[in-house]
Amino acid sequence: MRRPPVAPAPPGVNRRIVLSFLAGAAGAIGFAVTYGLGGQTRWEGVCLAVAFAGLACGLAIWGRRLVPVGGYVEEHEGFAPPPGEQALTAAVLTAPDSPIRRRGLLAALGLALTALGVAALFPLRSLLPWDRARPVRALTDTPWGPGVRLLTADGRPLRPGDVPAGTVVAVFPEGGAEAGDAPAFAVRLRPERLTRPPAAGHLDGLVVYSLLCTHAGCPVRLYLKGTGRVLCPCHQSSFDLLADARPVAGPAARPLPGLPVAVDPDGYLRATGDFTAAPGAGFWSRR
Amino acid sequence: MAVWTHRWWHPARAATAGAALALAAGPAALAAPAEVAPPPVTAALVAPAGVAPPPVTAAPAPDGEALYRQNCASCHGDRGQGAQRGPSLIGVGAASVDFQVGTGRMPIPHEVQQPRRAEPVFSADEIAALVAHVTSFGGGGPAVPRVGPGRLPTGRELFAANCAPCHGGTGAGAPLTNGWIAPPLYDATAVQVAEAVRVGPGLMPVFPSQVLTDQQVDDLAAYVQRLRSERLDRGGNPLGRLGPLAEGLVAWVVTLGLLVAAARWLGRRAGE
Amino acid sequence: MIVDRLARAVDDRLRLSPVARKALAKVFPDHWSFMLGEIALYAFVALVLTGVYLTLFFDPSSADRVYHGSYAPLDGSTTSAAYASTVRLSWDVRAGLLIRQTHHWAALVFVAAILVHLVRIFFTGAFRRPREANWLVGVTMLTLALANGFTGYSMPDDLLSGLGLRIIVSVVESIPLVGSWLVFLGLGGEFPSDAMIPRMFVSHVLLVPAVLVALVSAHLAMIVRQKHTQFPGPGRTEHNVVGSRLYPSYSLRSLALFAWVLAVLFALGGLVQINPVWLYGPFAPGQATSPAQPDWYVAWGDGALRLFPPWEFRIAGHLVPAPFFPGVALGGVTFLALYAWPFLERLCTGDRRPHQLLDRPRDHPVRTGIGVAALTFFAALVVTAGDGILARLLRVPVYDVLDVLRVVVLVLPLLTGALAVVLARALRRGDAARLGELTRADLRAAGRPAPGARSSPDEPELPAADRPGERIELWPEGGVWRWRYRDEPAGVAILSNRAVHTEREAADSARLAYPGVDQVTVPGPPPPAPPGRVRTALRRWGNAALGVSLLAAALRRRRERDRGGGGPPR
Repeated sequence: MRRPPVAPAPPGVNRRIVLSFLAGAAGAIGFAVTYGLGGQTRWEGVCLAVAFAGLACGLAIWGRRLVPVGGYVEEHEGFAPPPGEQALTAAVLTAPDSPIRRRGLLAALGLALTALGVAALFPLRSLLPWDRARPVRALTDTPWGPGVRLLTADGRPLRPGDVPAGTVVAVFPEGGAEAGDAPAFAVRLRPERLTRPPAAGHLDGLVVYSLLCTHAGCPVRLYLKGTGRVLCPCHQSSFDLLADARPVAGPAARPLPGLPVAVDPDGYLRATGDFTAAPGAGFWSRR
Repeated sequence: MAVWTHRWWHPARAATAGAALALAAGPAALAAPAEVAPPPVTAALVAPAGVAPPPVTAAPAPDGEALYRQNCASCHGDRGQGAQRGPSLIGVGAASVDFQVGTGRMPIPHEVQQPRRAEPVFSADEIAALVAHVTSFGGGGPAVPRVGPGRLPTGRELFAANCAPCHGGTGAGAPLTNGWIAPPLYDATAVQVAEAVRVGPGLMPVFPSQVLTDQQVDDLAAYVQRLRSERLDRGGNPLGRLGPLAEGLVAWVVTLGLLVAAARWLGRRAGE
Repeated sequence: MIVDRLARAVDDRLRLSPVARKALAKVFPDHWSFMLGEIALYAFVALVLTGVYLTLFFDPSSADRVYHGSYAPLDGSTTSAAYASTVRLSWDVRAGLLIRQTHHWAALVFVAAILVHLVRIFFTGAFRRPREANWLVGVTMLTLALANGFTGYSMPDDLLSGLGLRIIVSVVESIPLVGSWLVFLGLGGEFPSDAMIPRMFVSHVLLVPAVLVALVSAHLAMIVRQKHTQFPGPGRTEHNVVGSRLYPSYSLRSLALFAWVLAVLFALGGLVQINPVWLYGPFAPGQATSPAQPDWYVAWGDGALRLFPPWEFRIAGHLVPAPFFPGVALGGVTFLALYAWPFLERLCTGDRRPHQLLDRPRDHPVRTGIGVAALTFFAALVVTAGDGILARLLRVPVYDVLDVLRVVVLVLPLLTGALAVVLARALRRGDAARLGELTRADLRAAGRPAPGARSSPDEPELPAADRPGERIELWPEGGVWRWRYRDEPAGVAILSNRAVHTEREAADSARLAYPGVDQVTVPGPPPPAPPGRVRTALRRWGNAALGVSLLAAALRRRRERDRGGGGPPR
């Protein structure tokens, strides 16, 4: 069987295609060489890009110059099937021995499958925490509690003198520093500037609040010294520490929960209870 | 090969090469404005502040008192007692003066909410004289810190814990409320970083030695220098380190500019 | 030759040639906008290819791990295994950073391409009957792409993505009744839990991609079965598809697009840094970085969270927190509207007929207006997510920017939507071919009530009118039959996409494609016949499968010609 001869190409097209493919091959080799020489992200990227761009150029020129573009038509049957066809299919499905006509059996089968499906949902329960803590409890309780010492980020217990005016110190509960809902911060304010007494009290102007924004839980770590405000980096909620951390701007609606603290006989700061409210974002059963 | 090379600059080929070049240069061009994005602070800066070369000729020692009277006294008062237009300088400490003048934030021609970084007005000697003069007003305050070598890993941890919330994990700076910004850190010298930590200029919190030890400040300064010097941009153009939205913008420009454009070109006949 | 024999051997056993012949002759419309979905498809392929490589190095665990490697600021630090392995992949694995960055860029481009494709489908009405199911599949793929993008963004356990994850967790927590249970079900505990990263990993590399692959297959299968839509034009009817055949023309161009997508993604991956997690540092619950932003495709949700006022209320003592409305409600309404759109539109217009011909955006001004308004709304929300950057560039307070944006988000969509309606009407009623040619008179006409003749935007399609000069020509050609449609006054000649065995078959397919057009049998192929015959096409099919052999052939041919011109070979 003889093949028809290859269609003649417009002048120069073959050369351009071959050149493109060669450029692609060069890029691929360049990638291998770059990798072999120790790798450098930029050159690796450029070489691979050249390799694929060469392929793309060659194929594109081929597809646009050496083969016909457009000019063909294919019929479209539409999707309204002839009535006879549907009837034939229906007849197959509803033949006298067809399983779908045995309604009673089908109902029993459906019952079995439904039961199986419902049963299959039960293992999903295992995705809940292994200690079976109820979400409301877990979200409300934190490792803070009476007598828990306040630690700094590097694990030192905190004394009131470690928080001079104008600074902000992140504090964590001793024995629960890793907990996601525990981070708090301590700042010292001038007591006479407080426009609203802190619900958790203060120690000569030293106040401790939860670090987690009451809007979406981001740490409100941006302390604007002098204004007595903290700012959330995520959605720009702003809390006025002088007014018991009430939200003053942005989408947060609730004040930051405060942490009541006291000084123990050794001179260290200890919490005297948990936060005044559940820290972080709100949820349905939040008190 | 000769046959190929003499037609090397065929239009289509040139276009291909051009596209490749554009691809390579595009991100750079895109990033150019992004790099200038924190212009408030960096635009006026030609040489890194604080490393202004000392005068070559042995000039007479600058007179700190005269400099103070000419440039500062109108706002801060003759003896630094402060006035309506400027705060008191008594007790701010040498570090604060050195920081404000050394980063070109002071003197300012008129009152602004937040002075931005600029080319320092004075030479290093003049700054030293000014610092000495202002310190003579008394009141103590932090001295200019001496920065020693620091450890990078500790510096990184301290930076993440204390600096990243405002200045960003990348050190690119961020906006605060009411038009205040946390400036980018790329132009700060190690001493200026340490000064800012100890002094807390503007809205920035202070980190005295109870909070950060001298060694920790050294570590921090070392990490900020690393952020600044090598810039750590191993993956290519950093897009000003502005984060995911700048990346998204690039993705859209590329999707529409290179991919959809390619589809448009491929979808047409060669002749059209 | 060996390819020929292989093809024959396979065909002798599976008898694929009838199917293959029909498949290879499938006609694709030539309009560029039909390739937008392919960009998404190829970006997805790039995601799978690079993602498989990444799984070999990524350690999806929150267990402590000491990093030792060439990134000095982290050397010797203890972080989660996920973070340490990501930094290791970026700094110590050769080509690791390139693949990681390419993967992330591919994700951004993937969603962008899906969106562009969706916009095209929407504005041209391609979702109408019979293609509603494919629209649903497409929207589902969009949601899965968003979900997978987000888990991928979160898995490295860096500080920036940790903030993003925390926000999403807070949004889910805000759902009344079940919110906190859903969070605990998903994370296995309170955020940040140890189970979080492994679970995200499984869903990111297994569950969602598997569903995506299945849906992509379904999407494509439905396209093949239902065939493409097309824009109206000469010789194009509700009963045919006019364009290029899959083989050779469209497959070459599509492969070219594939290679180009990969080229662009690798160029981005090598030249533009994305998500430098080593700079952000590992996640710690008490740390933050600013400005905190998400990837662009979730930025609209983040923008909405920023804009929404601090409103929350209590139902019988239970709290409905502020993030519920911009987070859950807006997201829910958005996707519900997307899913429901084909049915809503059918309900409103009463148009239940199948459509194979597309609308131009002007043909349906209301739909166009709604689409433009929605796009403006979401674009404004995305801009809001960058309010910090905006405030810094403009040197104005963030809260002023937010106040302006609150108005812009609500007002601008109405303006752009109305403008789109007016322009679409003007284009439809006037005689301007494109936007730039609109005249003042056209715009005035758009303001007047619609002329009575076109009360319904979709008037019933008539069968092709028996226009003079329009005819079908059939002819025998070496034992097979072909036909073509010819409209002499318009200068249009369109060839049937494949040869058939009998004249009757040819006549039937021509009647299907052009009902009511006169058919004439002509003795031979009318000149000029377009090149390319189906039988040779079938034989060369194998060759195409191995493009390498063709490259070799081209090279050999070159060399021969060079020899012929340059003197006898040595």
